[in-house]
Amino acid sequence: MSLSLAYQNVDKVYQSRGKKESAMVHALKNVSFTINPGELFCLLGPSGCGKTTLLRSTAGLEDITGGKILYGDVDMSIIPPYKRNIGMVFQSFALYPHMNLFENVAYGLRVRKLPNDEVRKKVEAVMELVGLQEELKRNPFPTALSGGQQQRVAIARALVYDPEILLLDEPLANLDAKLRRYMRAEIRRIQKATNITTIFVTHDQEEAMAVGDRLAVMKRGVVEQIGTSDELYTAPDNTFVANFIGKMNFFKGVLSGEKTVRIDETRLSVTVEPQNIRTNGLAMKGDKVFFGARPEMLEVSKNNESGNGIPGKVIIIQHLGQVVRYEVVLDSDITVQNVEIDMPHMVKEISENDHVFIKVREGRGFVFLPEVSNQ
Amino acid sequence: MSKIGITTTGMGETTVNLKKDHTQFFVFVLPLLFILFFLLYPILITVLRSFMGTGSKFNLSKLTLSGYEKFFTTKLYTSSLKNSLIVATSVTLGTILIGVPMGYFVARVKIPGKKLMLSLGILPMIMPSFIGAFSWIILLGNNGILRYAFNFILKPFGLEMPSIYGMFGMIFCMILTYFPYVFLLAEGAFSGANALLEDAAMLMGARKLRVFRTITLPLILPSLGASALLVFVRAIGNFGIPAVIGRQVYTLPTLIYFRVNGFVDYNGASSIAVVNCIITGLVLWFQKSYVKKREYETVSATHTEIKQHEHPVAKILAFLFCLIILILSLAPQITIIVMSFFEKWYGLLPEGFTWENYAVIPRTSSKELFNSFFLSMSATLLSALLGSILAYITERKKPFGAGFLDFAIMLPFILPGTVVSVALISAFARGSIIRLGGTYTIIIISYMIRRTPYTYRSVVASLSQLNPSLEEASTIAGASWFRTFRKVSVPLILPGIVSGAILTFTTLLQELSTTILLYSPKTRTIPVQIYIQVAENSLGRASALSTVLFIVVFIVVYFTNKSRKFSMTSGFKM
Repeated sequence: MSLSLAYQNVDKVYQSRGKKESAMVHALKNVSFTINPGELFCLLGPSGCGKTTLLRSTAGLEDITGGKILYGDVDMSIIPPYKRNIGMVFQSFALYPHMNLFENVAYGLRVRKLPNDEVRKKVEAVMELVGLQEELKRNPFPTALSGGQQQRVAIARALVYDPEILLLDEPLANLDAKLRRYMRAEIRRIQKATNITTIFVTHDQEEAMAVGDRLAVMKRGVVEQIGTSDELYTAPDNTFVANFIGKMNFFKGVLSGEKTVRIDETRLSVTVEPQNIRTNGLAMKGDKVFFGARPEMLEVSKNNESGNGIPGKVIIIQHLGQVVRYEVVLDSDITVQNVEIDMPHMVKEISENDHVFIKVREGRGFVFLPEVSNQ
Repeated sequence: MSKIGITTTGMGETTVNLKKDHTQFFVFVLPLLFILFFLLYPILITVLRSFMGTGSKFNLSKLTLSGYEKFFTTKLYTSSLKNSLIVATSVTLGTILIGVPMGYFVARVKIPGKKLMLSLGILPMIMPSFIGAFSWIILLGNNGILRYAFNFILKPFGLEMPSIYGMFGMIFCMILTYFPYVFLLAEGAFSGANALLEDAAMLMGARKLRVFRTITLPLILPSLGASALLVFVRAIGNFGIPAVIGRQVYTLPTLIYFRVNGFVDYNGASSIAVVNCIITGLVLWFQKSYVKKREYETVSATHTEIKQHEHPVAKILAFLFCLIILILSLAPQITIIVMSFFEKWYGLLPEGFTWENYAVIPRTSSKELFNSFFLSMSATLLSALLGSILAYITERKKPFGAGFLDFAIMLPFILPGTVVSVALISAFARGSIIRLGGTYTIIIISYMIRRTPYTYRSVVASLSQLNPSLEEASTIAGASWFRTFRKVSVPLILPGIVSGAILTFTTLLQELSTTILLYSPKTRTIPVQIYIQVAENSLGRASALSTVLFIVVFIVVYFTNKSRKFSMTSGFKM
């Protein structure tokens, strides 16, 4: 039976060749959270955020500098990797070019000295699970397989010996876009069928949101927020998470009332729902804040009929299918980045380079502490 | 369809406005003619001669198998063949036993001085092997210092250290000469291996030893096999070592020399050369059909550093192993340098310090020095030109028969030097259409034939990494073929040409096995003179000349390695 996997104050410091203080890289800083048994957990963040380091530390391929990794009550960080009973799928799949399909998958079973007929039974069962029964009959070398098939072999190889934990290190990065969407559903199906506690590392937020039961967003060795896809999207804790999970436009402003923000350089005052004030109680009335709005929370129009529009200029119009995205540049005192606005339809009278007005839909938007978001 | 340059007027009447560019054709035809005339034609003559009786003139109507019968009837021939096979097999096994562990230690155990070990490891490869052999005479010969010391210890037990002369010495010297081929390759493979493949095995529950046995070793086995076969081919073709310390134990190359120099029997020598060729040919065929196919692309895309063993016992043992091997393989060089300052060295210490060995060089060897530099330099320049053009043809143009061309160019790489000279003498010596015997030309040609593969491989390697669209872009911009070749291709493959040329030059300076059969009093080179001095037992003078050679070669190699643009290793590959 699976147990929970808990990280307690995990630290990882890389000492580079030079012995100077500056040569140290703090890859993980005081990371603490718990993954539930049978959960499909995503580690998400930009490159260099420490997600792969955390995964490799879980596998035992890296030694952690401080803290504990507990599986149930057992501290895993002192167990050598070959005794941890972990399955791992690498970004490059790491299939053995000198072994055929069967032997690749059977490797972990051979190590465990299972009798031949049991090895055969288990390999056949796991290949059926990943949908490669036909390929197993031909039993080719892995180089003769397509990318998607190699991916399935890598998953089968990691699952065949019933590991306690399954680790997936950017498993879809080497596949093309269409296959990626298909395989992420497959991974979720296989994970749910086996119910093995799984950690899935990715830098693609769409992938993480689609696959994971819960997500941890990381930045520079620190876990910024943990939650379900819905929680992270509808209630991001800070500007980084807000703009990493989906798009968020930020406007400089001042907290003018308990539920209202006045946007700088305008007389515009916006009302925000109480649960969307994500300042953790740290911003008082009159403090500088960021007002955040997702593209679908904004409207663009040619005329300023209501009088509370923010003037700007359309740079690019992109038709994305379900929505039409307008990219608008505003006064740099309001926001430095271009504002993205999603409209359900093409607005006929607006074309590129036109002067327009932006309006916030009633009661939508977030309030954040003013941080520099350098995502 | 574009109509630029072609206008169709009326019925089937086509005017082509483009002038056809013929430069390409001429640039390509000359090297091909060279290969045809100086490589394929001599080999054909050699094969034909091998079917002619001893002493008979070149006559196609009287063909006989008598040259080959000797391998079954004459004791000297039988034993030479047997000796060659024993030496080559033992040397191959020995280099694997030394080279693979050493490669693993340097790559995977945390020991000091790794970079130094790697650069010192190249030394035995670029130093002439027969010089190593004669320095071992000083150390382990009948009156050698080490043998003296060993016998002093062993005497009370009634034992005696074998003399370096004979089979043991040949195998010993060749292992020390050729182990770097395996060592450098194994080191590269162990340190460049995809760490993820090993990580994956470990996560699946395999312990270190099992990972090594089932993953690490099988993955590098094919390329290791290739380098071991190269050692085999090199060992079976080595002339210098059996000539210096073989004494009455003959191998095929020394037997060829014996037939040519002792009996002027080109037909007999041809038969031996053909047998020698067949053995190397079989090895090459084996390599191409079994080993090459199984080479794996194991270079990892994401570079993860491979973990190193840090256990103190492992560190100490690994370091000691590497140190002993390096000392053994460098002992000849050190001995030679010491010897060059003394008159004689019988027993424990050298005697009679003197500068004389160096002082006589201007008087005795100025012609030889000139010859060595002149011959090596001209052959290097010509073979660099030849090699790069040929590489360009086979890699870029891929003409009909490119595979055969590639085979023909690489053939001399595995052919023993004595075989190449026999082929050239039998084609161009007395009584043939063109007489080149005893000239500078025949030596330069033989050098070119033997060393073109160095530049060729080196340039092919850099060309294959060069995107053809760079050249296409130049053509589209309106440049002629020659301009593209000059302004785009050549500058980009220049590092490949230069590293091939440097390898060619340094190895040619010490070339013995080809020159020994082709030289005349006028064209004698330094290595030949060293060889003669060793035969006359004037080891002091031979050492002084060898030291001069070392210094020149070392300077060239040192400065090449310092500018990191050039890699000497691609020229060593088959």
